[in-house]
Amino acid sequence: MSELLWAAVLAFNYLVLFYFIALNTVYLGTSFLAFGALRRHAVRMKSLDLTDLITSQAAPPITLLAPAYNEGRTCVESVRSLLTLEYPDYEIVVINDGSTDGTLERMTEAFELEAASRVPTADLPTAEVRQVLRSRRYRTLWVIDKANGGKADALNAGINFCQTPLFCGMDADSLLEPQALIRVVRPFLEDGATVAAGGILRIVNGCKVERGRVVDVRLPGSLLARFQVLEYLRAFLSGRMGWDAIDATLVVSGAFGIFKRSAVVDAGGYATDTVGEDMELIVRLRRHCAERGVTCRVHFVPDPVAWTECPESIRVLARQRDRWQRGLLQSLMRHRVMLFNPRYGTAGVIAFPYFFFLEMLGPVIELLGYVAFVALVLAGRAELLFVVAFLCASVVLGMALSISAVALEELSFRRYPRFLDLLRLFGLGFLENFGYRQLNAFWRLRGTISAFRGVTGWGIMTRKGFAVSDRETAT
Amino acid sequence: MLPVPLQVPVAPTLQDAGLLALIAVIVALLVVTLAFSAYTVVLRLRHEARRRLRARLAGAWEGPVLRALADPDLAPQVHGAVEARYRLHFVQFALEYSRRVRGEERRTLRALARPYLAPLAGRASSRRAEVRVRAVQTLGALGLPGYEREVLAGLDDPSPVVAMVAARSLARAEFPEHAAPVLARLHRFDGWSPRFLAAMLAAMGPQIAGELRRGLADEGQPAWVRAVEAEALRIQKDLGAADVAARLLGQPQDPDLLIAALRLLEVVGRPEHAAAVRALCGSAHVMVRAYALHSLGTLGDEGDVPRLIEAMEDPSPWVAIHAARGVRQAGAEQLLAHLAASDHPSALLAAQVMEEGRVA
Repeated sequence: MSELLWAAVLAFNYLVLFYFIALNTVYLGTSFLAFGALRRHAVRMKSLDLTDLITSQAAPPITLLAPAYNEGRTCVESVRSLLTLEYPDYEIVVINDGSTDGTLERMTEAFELEAASRVPTADLPTAEVRQVLRSRRYRTLWVIDKANGGKADALNAGINFCQTPLFCGMDADSLLEPQALIRVVRPFLEDGATVAAGGILRIVNGCKVERGRVVDVRLPGSLLARFQVLEYLRAFLSGRMGWDAIDATLVVSGAFGIFKRSAVVDAGGYATDTVGEDMELIVRLRRHCAERGVTCRVHFVPDPVAWTECPESIRVLARQRDRWQRGLLQSLMRHRVMLFNPRYGTAGVIAFPYFFFLEMLGPVIELLGYVAFVALVLAGRAELLFVVAFLCASVVLGMALSISAVALEELSFRRYPRFLDLLRLFGLGFLENFGYRQLNAFWRLRGTISAFRGVTGWGIMTRKGFAVSDRETAT
Repeated sequence: MLPVPLQVPVAPTLQDAGLLALIAVIVALLVVTLAFSAYTVVLRLRHEARRRLRARLAGAWEGPVLRALADPDLAPQVHGAVEARYRLHFVQFALEYSRRVRGEERRTLRALARPYLAPLAGRASSRRAEVRVRAVQTLGALGLPGYEREVLAGLDDPSPVVAMVAARSLARAEFPEHAAPVLARLHRFDGWSPRFLAAMLAAMGPQIAGELRRGLADEGQPAWVRAVEAEALRIQKDLGAADVAARLLGQPQDPDLLIAALRLLEVVGRPEHAAAVRALCGSAHVMVRAYALHSLGTLGDEGDVPRLIEAMEDPSPWVAIHAARGVRQAGAEQLLAHLAASDHPSALLAAQVMEEGRVA
């Protein structure tokens, strides 16, 4: 019996080994693809005169949809920053999702909102819309006041009132760079089959912000936030850039993504019964198009930036990762028909299996791998030298992947101008292997369990704010 | 990081071999990691050095260039400030500067850069697309007239980016003679946004309106190309295109072409075109119906207002909105005000369109 158990543990080890090799092969593959894709992107950007585009009639009108729930402390500053974007034709629709902290009152006072008439152009189901308001001072600013229904519900309400061919889904507390819209819209100009495009999220913690604009980019002070900077670089520049190169993008960040309105309405809008509505929408759009024989593409564009605040406390970060994992699992399970299905192109054959087996089930395998490791060491059945060598290999591989992401950043955008910050990023690539990655795996495992237990809701996200402190958002 | 202890029920030699392989992998990964780190540092140092050089050169050139822009006779001062080894840097400087100036100043800037453009002509036929695109872009911005051959060749480049850069370089009001080759290659850009292409063509100015009209009337052309030409004519507000647009409404057409023609007629049409527009107000295609109603508001007469009011209750919100805008265009604002104040199903829509009118 005992030998059978050890045999099972050994077999599991081989599964973990296979997982390790597969996961890192994908990471290396996307990093490799990202290098080529970023070079091509740089050439394209040099050949495009943004100033020319901003002043021409070529840029399609866009509606910015910014759901706000209890954003009273920062909503005015955030909207002011949106009003200064460099784009020829856009309007802003803030959706007040039943805030109870005076968000609407502050907006009304700051922007002189008044009741306005606006008919819906779609009928996605949402919580009750109480009133539509418009700024007397800035005629492109609208506010939809509705009963609380969550972020997806608020976005659907915004889509219902959207009158432009494209809309931009974002978080009310994200800071878009002035040229973010003109840059992110590029795939819609170049490729008529584009239904969605996402930009890059960067972490604003530690940066200096003036009047809603990031004026000095620095690494955050807290180690936890610094780890997340590196994670974001890896996820966007190595991951999403690589997936985009093979037309297999399955995620456009909810904090900043631009969509073809008609495609989203046809697909039924955002799903309100998942906490991962951003990924779910992209997967559904791809599925919807493929099942109707319509060509559609989703792009990641690496240079339009939305600055977002990341959690600096373990508790809040744990909740965020738990939610992300639940959202991932819900999206993948709902559309599991796409798994290995060539009907859905590279997204179905490559990206979906990657997310399904390596991202969704990964934490389970990883955590159990740690348990098996400890068990084997304690039982004296592991060759210590081999174990140490394997640990070294995994640490060095992790470092190589992180540093390749930093190299991609340096090759393309160089947002961290201080040489010391560059060296710190190298150091973080080493340090994160000892504790942070294991914690992440644990939070994601917890998220997986929560999803199977049917846990819903976003949890409270406590944030410091760009200029103020103790802001709370729950939308 | 994943700790995977491989318990080893295998022969010691195999185990040793496995261990050695693992150590080799670690060493290789370490080398890769160090190489990436070194590469990143080198990139940073190189970038910093370039940035400093550019700043120094820009500081040295800006004064003479500004003086030459004010007085072209001072151009020799600029050439005197450009050392032979920095000629291509000067071209880059001039390219960036040229985006900030217009008209005569841009022409002067081009003349300042022209003596240094020769090496780029060779690069326009490089094997690397990114080199060709930069060369064509620079020659297009600073080398016309003079380097037409290289830029025109770019239109047929296998790389779609090079082709688009060439087209955008040639599509400028100062070079209407290049309209024909650009229009002839529009088919290369069939994936691009029609709006983008139309804006590009419209930028060539009214001199090319005749060619656009001929293209719009040419039934041998793909419908999407004709739609782009119609949109370009709309941006140019070309009154002469109205008859062409009205004529094509009378035949079965691609919906996108019909929509483009209706949008064009709304801007440049005359009352005699209303009949052709009226015939499409019952189209089964939602957006054709919507734009027909909108145009009818501009081109129609009082007798069309009841039809527009009725269409404000169309099941499609887009048709309803365009119909309401048509009512406003028809000058029936009082009727809209009356509707807005009533309990009519379209009261909210009427109020919205009235507000739009006030803002406009």
